[in-house]
Amino acid sequence: MILAKYLARRFFASVIVVLGVTLITLLLMDRTRGTYVPGIDLNPSLRPEDIARLRANLGLDRPFYIWYLTWIWGVLHGDFGRSMIDGSTVMSHILDRLPNTIELTATAILVGILISIPVGVVSALRRGSKTDHTLTVVSVAGFAVPQFWLGLMLILIFSVTLEQHGLPWLPSSGAYSAYNGGDLLDRLLHLIMPATVLSFFYVSTWSRFIRSSMLEVLSQDYIRTARAKGMSERRVVYLHGLRNALIPLITLIGLELPGLVSGGLVVEVVFGWPGIGKLAFERALQYDYTTVMGVTFFATMLVIAGNLLADLLYGVLDPRIRYG
Amino acid sequence: MSEDEDPKGFEQFERFLEEWSRRDFLKKTGGAAAYMAFLAGGLEWLEACGGGSNSGGGTAKKGGHVVEGNFSDIRTLNSMLSSDTASNQVIGLMFDGLTNQKKDGTVIPALAESWKTSADGMTYTFKLRSGLKWSDGQPITADDVKFTYSLAQDDAYKAFASPRRGDLSKYIKSIDTPDPQTVVMNMTQVFAPFLASHGQYGILPKHVLGTMDATALNTADFNSAPSVTNGAFKFVRWDKGAQVTMARNDNYWAGAAYLDQWIYKVLPDSVAVTNQLKTGEIDIGPVDPGQYDNIKTTDSVTLTEFPVPSFTFYAYQLDPSKPAGPLFQDQAVRQALLYALDRQSMVNAIFFNHGVVADSVMPPTSWAHIKPQTQYPFDKNKAGSLLDGAGWAMGSDGIRAKNGMKLKFTMITNAGNKQRESCLTYMQQAWKAIGVDATPSLIQFPQLVSQIVSIRTFDMFLVGFNWSVDPDEAPLFHSRNAAPGGFNGAHFKNDQVDSLLDQALGTLDQNKRKQLYAQFQEIMAEQVPSPILVFNTGIWGVNKRVQNTDFGTFSQYQFRPWNHTVWVTDGK
Repeated sequence: MILAKYLARRFFASVIVVLGVTLITLLLMDRTRGTYVPGIDLNPSLRPEDIARLRANLGLDRPFYIWYLTWIWGVLHGDFGRSMIDGSTVMSHILDRLPNTIELTATAILVGILISIPVGVVSALRRGSKTDHTLTVVSVAGFAVPQFWLGLMLILIFSVTLEQHGLPWLPSSGAYSAYNGGDLLDRLLHLIMPATVLSFFYVSTWSRFIRSSMLEVLSQDYIRTARAKGMSERRVVYLHGLRNALIPLITLIGLELPGLVSGGLVVEVVFGWPGIGKLAFERALQYDYTTVMGVTFFATMLVIAGNLLADLLYGVLDPRIRYG
Repeated sequence: MSEDEDPKGFEQFERFLEEWSRRDFLKKTGGAAAYMAFLAGGLEWLEACGGGSNSGGGTAKKGGHVVEGNFSDIRTLNSMLSSDTASNQVIGLMFDGLTNQKKDGTVIPALAESWKTSADGMTYTFKLRSGLKWSDGQPITADDVKFTYSLAQDDAYKAFASPRRGDLSKYIKSIDTPDPQTVVMNMTQVFAPFLASHGQYGILPKHVLGTMDATALNTADFNSAPSVTNGAFKFVRWDKGAQVTMARNDNYWAGAAYLDQWIYKVLPDSVAVTNQLKTGEIDIGPVDPGQYDNIKTTDSVTLTEFPVPSFTFYAYQLDPSKPAGPLFQDQAVRQALLYALDRQSMVNAIFFNHGVVADSVMPPTSWAHIKPQTQYPFDKNKAGSLLDGAGWAMGSDGIRAKNGMKLKFTMITNAGNKQRESCLTYMQQAWKAIGVDATPSLIQFPQLVSQIVSIRTFDMFLVGFNWSVDPDEAPLFHSRNAAPGGFNGAHFKNDQVDSLLDQALGTLDQNKRKQLYAQFQEIMAEQVPSPILVFNTGIWGVNKRVQNTDFGTFSQYQFRPWNHTVWVTDGK
């Protein structure tokens, strides 16, 4: 009952967030668009009357709030409209690319978790050691190196240079081979470089959090108690220490849920990965209102869901947390 | 298009070039003569080029595939809706029009085996080939042609979002189909570029789309997944954001293609195009001039370079009501600024020597190109004395002024386009040396478009423009296009130019048109409202396993009558 009330309150807050985010997105696009008509650009063969007609077709001759209300009305009826650039439904764009984005982000998150937890724990347990310092340097590098640069370097080394030397090489763009591609091995090969770049970033961030969180937990009284009652060090670290240290990580990973839409944006763009981040990026620059609004709506929902999920998971991991 | 990271910058550049090129690319007969003259002009950069057929020998064999790479996804596969290069490129692989075009610009028969223009230029009669079939086996008839053109001409289809309606509904009065193989188009007035500009739209199947109304057609499934085609290939799949897969159409009138599949692959940017040409992930792709040196040593790739009908230019604000308008009213000022630019150095340093200094307002790929009397070789002293003569005296701050007004202005172009950004930087320095204070400013592409076609508060803008085979340049220089929405954003108004351009559009005789355009070019060379900096070149890379491609000036993204003859040596 308390949980239901909690969820209801969260729901109403979410509606306001969604309205706010979409309205601001639309405003930003509308204020900077000028008189540009999406999909038309500068084409010397187009006459002014053609451009005016196409603008009206897209509903851009109306004030933005009318456009917004029309859009909201559609969304309430489950209709996200059609792309202003290519006329396909926004839903088909999102659904076509969602599997690719999930494939990339889920892999990166999974790899990130699998690597960052041991790295974080080892750093914490051996604080001040050479291992700790080395891992710190790698993490800071992973944090500081721009993803697009790392991506381009990997392409240069593992695609172009290796191929030029007749060695086995990795495909440089896309989620599968253009010709006869799409089987498991082919997709895995295409996944390696983008997933590496993306998970490198996750590992750097998360391992630092786990390290500090672990250090904090290990200095708690209950850990001392556990040790005092003669529990083995292994049990102390992994049963009492790690479980409590993971709580902040849940928030972080929960917040990565919208990354399913946007987190891999740079990586998707560099590797030509046909995902949602690339879609949003390209369409934003083309002022494709409907597609951008659709993706924004979707991303906002995921942020909300991610936060909620993280909050609920707290309860599972830490019985002291109650909702009310 | 882009954020500021390098690779995206390239993409924006490429997209921008494309947007200009669009379907307008290729038109009209007569390019051949001028093109050959151009090649014979002794221009070194063209040596060993001339547009290239990749035909190493051996006998053509059936089977295999080609992957072609480019940096934008398609938007539609409906030939009457598309207005971007990527879509037109892919549509061209699956749909033939009445006519097609050779790389020299000659209009050649496609679905129509012949055509006649009436003596008064008011009627075009097209005769279709016999035995034409859609990929589903249905016959292609005059009704299909009429249906296709009426989508942009008939008032019943007004709600159909065709970007072609402006021209087609203005110039076509009616379309008759006296028999299944004959199409007669009656014009409202003589319009010289008609055949070249409007003859090549891919014909659409009436038996599939004929029952839909205009609104339904806007969102028809056919637009993203055509069930029936008439070109060398038929549609298999469009993976949005990734690729379009096409397979051989056995019913193609010119003979079934050798290849099993043709794949159009979407890449992140021009660097990726070069990389993947190297690795063999793609077989065919356009090469950015900045990437040329990077790929020229790759053994597996043949590079072809040729002049294209496009140029990079800047435009002065000529509207006296705008802040910068008064600066450029005097022809001497416009000339002086152009004299102050060492354009050969610009070609060398900024365009990596892939291009030539412009000598006219008409690209040399056109049959109408002449070299006008007035030329602007780099001459700093002349620039200075012209400004002195016009009353712009050097001030104590090193900036010239006249009547208390400083010769100071801002230049805009689209951010992310390295070549254009470099041009502005160079111009800033070159003009500073003669006492002119010009500041570069980079804005996003959509804002640049708004500035040029409607807002027009700029002082000076720099962009590129792609032309078609037909030499008409009214979109840029006719005063009627100074109205909002038109491309004459610089507000150039000259009665004589207007009348020459109008006469040339209404004249069918090519020799007469040539004379008119010669006069036009002379006036433009003297007036220099929008100086042309550089004529650009096109570069294509083709993997050596691919045979029989034949890229050239007017056969690049579209208009490849050689599609079906392409084959691969390894059969894969």
